[in-house]
Amino acid sequence: MNLKEKIEKHLLEVQKPSRYIGGEVGSVIKDKSKVDVRFAFCFPDTYDIGMSHLGMKILYSLTNERENYWCERCYAPGNDFEEIMRKNDIPLYALESLDPIKDFDFIGFTLQYELSYSTILNMLDLAGIPIFAKDRTPELTQIVVAGGPCVCNPEPLADFFDIFILGEGEEVNLELMDLYHEMKKQGASRIEFLRKATQIEGIYVPQFYSFEYKEDGTIERMNVSDGAPEVIRKRIIKDMDKVYYPENFVVPFTEIVHDRVSVEVLRGCIRGCRFCQAGFIYRPFREKSTESICRQTKALCENTGYDEVSLASLSTSDHSDIDHMLTQLIDYTANERINLSLPSLRVDNFSESLLEKIKKVRKSGLTFAAEGGTQRLRDVINKNVSEDEIMNTCRIAFEGGYSSVKLYFMMGLPTETDADIEGIADLAQRIVDLFYSIENRPKGRGVQVSVSCATFVPKPFTPFQFEPQDTREMIEHKQELLLSSVKTKKVKVSYHDPNVSMLEVILAKGDRRLCKVIYAAWKKGCKFDSWEEHYKFDKWMEAFSDCGVDPSFYANRRFEYDEILPWDHLDYLVSKEFLIRENKTAHQSKTTPNCRLRCSGCGVNKKVGRECF
Amino acid sequence: MIRVRATFEKKGRAKYISHLDLNRCMLRTFRRSRLPIWYTEGFNPHPYYSFALALSLGFESSCEIMDFNLNEDVPFDEVRDRLNAVMPEGMRVVKVAEQVQKITAIAKAEYAFSLVSDDTDGLFEAVQNLLAQPEILIEKKTKKGIKTVDIKPDMEVLSCEKNGNSVDISMHLPAGTQTNYNPTLFMEALKLTTEIQFEPENIRRMAILCADNTVFA
Ligand code: SF4
Repeated sequence: MNLKEKIEKHLLEVQKPSRYIGGEVGSVIKDKSKVDVRFAFCFPDTYDIGMSHLGMKILYSLTNERENYWCERCYAPGNDFEEIMRKNDIPLYALESLDPIKDFDFIGFTLQYELSYSTILNMLDLAGIPIFAKDRTPELTQIVVAGGPCVCNPEPLADFFDIFILGEGEEVNLELMDLYHEMKKQGASRIEFLRKATQIEGIYVPQFYSFEYKEDGTIERMNVSDGAPEVIRKRIIKDMDKVYYPENFVVPFTEIVHDRVSVEVLRGCIRGCRFCQAGFIYRPFREKSTESICRQTKALCENTGYDEVSLASLSTSDHSDIDHMLTQLIDYTANERINLSLPSLRVDNFSESLLEKIKKVRKSGLTFAAEGGTQRLRDVINKNVSEDEIMNTCRIAFEGGYSSVKLYFMMGLPTETDADIEGIADLAQRIVDLFYSIENRPKGRGVQVSVSCATFVPKPFTPFQFEPQDTREMIEHKQELLLSSVKTKKVKVSYHDPNVSMLEVILAKGDRRLCKVIYAAWKKGCKFDSWEEHYKFDKWMEAFSDCGVDPSFYANRRFEYDEILPWDHLDYLVSKEFLIRENKTAHQSKTTPNCRLRCSGCGVNKKVGRECF
Repeated sequence: MIRVRATFEKKGRAKYISHLDLNRCMLRTFRRSRLPIWYTEGFNPHPYYSFALALSLGFESSCEIMDFNLNEDVPFDEVRDRLNAVMPEGMRVVKVAEQVQKITAIAKAEYAFSLVSDDTDGLFEAVQNLLAQPEILIEKKTKKGIKTVDIKPDMEVLSCEKNGNSVDISMHLPAGTQTNYNPTLFMEALKLTTEIQFEPENIRRMAILCADNTVFA
């Protein structure tokens, strides 16, 4: 029985089988005999989530443009199918060819969130690929690589990967595949390839780096071997209008999380919110022209048949041509009966006529990422939204017929006190009061304000990278305080599980000593940690204690300014001096203006060799 | 507005597309084809199309029926070709024509399937025995709960043959707006009468028929 027959024999026993058999419109099938390099693009979560990811769509199409390279997709099977796969010797396979990914030249994972790490180990194991890089064949094949935002501190995964790719992949992925193709022809070995690969900017081969630690557990020094560079710099694309963008997506049969066309409008962010990793690691700010955006929207809608489009960026309203761009897009989509979804747009300075148009297409509810409960705290985190703005927007919305608002906050932010927590309840209360003060408010309905609180997770390459996370006791105290501060049923409060945020910060700020912990946790059955129903906190804690690693060393300790951080050898263009400066400014409750108003000297412009604006 | 009826195949990997997903899939297929399909009127206009008979997940078919309307006159062959150019793998329109009969004219469907077993002789005998019974009782889930029904009077076996490691059967079963029987009902009944292990394979819907056995069109 070949693999396809084996799969089909059991496919009707599982949930949503179309996720496991490929054949979707837009998927790329090639003749194996004419392909030189095969790349399995793996997303460490289920199909429904992975298929929604834009970066994967871009790199999938880009690689497949090259006739002799074939990029295929691979996702983590659900538990029901995994059980069947293990029982019937079905190795993890790619969806286009249905070939086992262990036979591929590259097995590439995208690291979108830290809580996917245990799933990566599980996928390697399901594939029959040795989990530790050191155990893989000396021959040139089966190179396990990773890219994506979490690669900015990949140390907790250092033992499992051959290569990390820093920054944007559009150019460097092909350079890496070209080198592989060339060296494969010459009959080179794995190690020879890895050595040569370190000469490509953005390529980090962790096995050529080792660390020594001090008595107190912090890093003493890093050693480099095999001629690899001391510092690895992330890659960026200079011109967003020249960079490749797909004209087609794979269109799934089953519903996925983001089931629509998504068009990237800009990269980077000018805002500099101090908790936001994306705001720093994707610098500098670069935008696509209105012309490119409209052309790509049209091509994607026509080729996929989707009737919904969304714009992808960290802050679409910061596009310099936003008014004109939205006008054009709204005209096109309305004419073609396509829904344009516009999440989290700041509508402060739009023209009247555009506002009218937006009102017509906008269906989503009203949400605010306020993040902090008081102005003081919002200044600390540099979240540039004032209470006046929130109130004004709510007023317009209530008058326009809305009766519910959703507010997002973080708990456990640096310098936070009980007054800031009470401030969350006060703000929600003032919105409730505002609603009832409006004469022409929606009749017959009460107002509903939902307050959603996440636990703050300090991340590498942000000004808060030095900060400790609140302990569980501190968070629990704040949660109780918030609940008791809310005096009305019109305000609903919900939380994220602080135990999840704790693992997140450890994996985000961890070093190589965590590799064995992740391995141990996976051995104990951990996977899909980002799914509440699968998360096994106690197993993780067992893994830490079995390995003799103290979780609070990573989670609840302040990292010193002069300490060697596990990610200090990775260069994301933003300088450490700048992050320290920003950290100090934060502790003085002072804000930093956005990049368009004034450059605050993060260092990106110097390294890129041109001004950002 | 022009009323159109398409007959299409759903085979290979496409058999794993559920009925719910097929709806979404067709919507996108129509959009890709850029055919002038008619939209419903009212508050939330959407393209109108409807399937005559739902097909169970995992079944293949060479005769699925989908009705829709066009705003402009487009030659039927062109409609077929434009849809086929953008259909997913395993799906293909074989015919586009006028809607001759009403959907209510559908009375039955022809199915073919194989029952794979290590003991084909025994299985063949068990099938024969079952077919010789005066009634074939099965439990059927209905909206009002579980009901015992006799499928024998409505079931017409067209052929039953041993073929290598399988017993191949084809039969007519009632279909349409009133009664709908699936060949899996017959397999369940068979399981109750024999110890012999078997696995169904290649379940196919071969034709959608009217009461007088003519092909629904
Ligand atoms: S160099 Fe200046 S303008 Fe450019 S990203 Fe850094 S702070 Fe902003």
